Amino acid sequence: MDFNGLSIDQAPPISAPLRFFLTAPVFGLIAGILILFTDVNSLQSRFSIESILIAHAITIGFFSFVMLGALTQMLPVLAGAKIPKVELVAKISHFLLVFGTLCLLSGLYTGNTLLTTFAFVGLGCGFLMMIIAIAYGIMKVKNFTPTVKAMATSLIFAFFVLLMGLVLLYSHIAKDISEFHLIISNIHSVWGIFGFAGILIIGVSFQVLPMFYVAPRFKQFCKQKVMWLIVFGLLLWLVSNIFYDAFAVIAKLWVALFFLAFATTVWKKLDARRRPISDVTVWYWRSSSVFLAMGTIMWVADEYFGNNYTVLVALFIGGGFIFSIMIGMLYKIIPFLVWFHLNGSGYMSIPTMNEMINKKLSYAQFIFFIVALIGLSLSFFIPALLEIFAFSFILSMIILQYNVAAPVLIYVKIKKMKPDFDMSAFTIHEGNK
Amino acid sequence: MSTIKEYLTNDHHRCDELFASMENLATSSLESAKEDYLKFAGETERHFQMEERVMFLEFETKTGMTQGPTAMMRHEHTQMRSLMKQMGEALETQNKDKFFGLSETLMILLQQHNMKEEQMLYTMAQQHLSAESSRIVEMMESMIVE
Repeated sequence: MDFNGLSIDQAPPISAPLRFFLTAPVFGLIAGILILFTDVNSLQSRFSIESILIAHAITIGFFSFVMLGALTQMLPVLAGAKIPKVELVAKISHFLLVFGTLCLLSGLYTGNTLLTTFAFVGLGCGFLMMIIAIAYGIMKVKNFTPTVKAMATSLIFAFFVLLMGLVLLYSHIAKDISEFHLIISNIHSVWGIFGFAGILIIGVSFQVLPMFYVAPRFKQFCKQKVMWLIVFGLLLWLVSNIFYDAFAVIAKLWVALFFLAFATTVWKKLDARRRPISDVTVWYWRSSSVFLAMGTIMWVADEYFGNNYTVLVALFIGGGFIFSIMIGMLYKIIPFLVWFHLNGSGYMSIPTMNEMINKKLSYAQFIFFIVALIGLSLSFFIPALLEIFAFSFILSMIILQYNVAAPVLIYVKIKKMKPDFDMSAFTIHEGNK
Repeated sequence: MSTIKEYLTNDHHRCDELFASMENLATSSLESAKEDYLKFAGETERHFQMEERVMFLEFETKTGMTQGPTAMMRHEHTQMRSLMKQMGEALETQNKDKFFGLSETLMILLQQHNMKEEQMLYTMAQQHLSAESSRIVEMMESMIVE
């Protein structure tokens, strides 16, 4: 029997998830600055270099960083799986990904092929390293719950999204944009949003909503079938998108239907939750549910408007749904990790989770973020509004950076002091009981 | 008769409900939550003891593992006992911020602890102790809290 999944040192070192979490808002901030200095006409097309830059500052720099950081922490808890050499893997891949993302942004912006080549290597190696390490951990799991299945499936999508991303980047390096470029970029983005991020979020919410909010559990149908139905829809969409474009809308409807159902389910579960507490994380779950519902409806409707509103769809689903949930989770995970690691090292006089992040600042961050989302959507129709709402977004990212750094500073400060208890002796005593 | 895994998992859910109803009352006034706090803390203590004094011991005897998963779970029980004690003190001093700060911390700690037990330890215990399952559940049910 393998006991490695549940041992004293089961939790990964705090640095593994934190390095990803602390860098994410920086890329959010970079995206905000790019929005501020970009001509509004360029932003209205999803194919302009500026739109691609902003999209990747957010999707790679923020989304994938938060997802990878969360996976290093959640895999042991939710799946009983351990990522091999997690500290080293996280350190190297984080470096490669930061380097790769910065090279991607600067390389595409300047058209410098040396930088885009560095981006190709950095992002390719960084992502592959994490994907392989997580896959290795998941393969050792004995108890395959719906959440673990979702994690594994999402990882497979991540792998294909990465491959397609590298093909697209290579065509920029070789300056050879083929006729397939558009099709690949479509699949890359749809699979990235719904396959990688969407399925992971749904799978994790099966556990997180009942756990953190004592909300009613998801029905067996949701847990056992919905993910496969979404996978089927995404494969159907892939085939129809390549061979029978006229029918792609049917597959879109199929996928959208399940995400719409998920959005309403989240809202209803929160309504029926047994914990009365309403903190900023609940607000974020609610906003993500609303934006997901609007985004999926718009994604399908966009087919009938000649795909003129794709940028708005991306804003609603990417910004409103995925971004919202991830910020909400950061507010829960980081203070807990700090408390857990300090308490586990024998420090008893430590602030509670609620005392680590200033409540008012977390609400202010939420409001600036939501105002920015609404305002940026409006500026699609009224370009003059863009600047002011870009500011709102930038401000929300600066506050977020402060809010996620505050508990880490508490950790660093307390760690410099002597612990109240020597935990190594304590552990041996417990073990010999 | 339920299996060890079913019995203890259901007990987790029962304690979650008690926790939620305690918090519910505490939002209006801490004074009104005192009774529910005692109920929650008492039942959670009972759950810990059912594990520490019955199931963990049986598991350790059967597998010879005394410093493995059960040691980790015992350690987390100690962390949670300390948080529950501090919650009781916050109730006495009517410190609402402190109470909810502690309850939030306890909730997450409790949930990730339960998750590890349900995902790993109970499944392992069920495999090793399946033949004695009914006897162990009976012992846990009839146990008197110390």
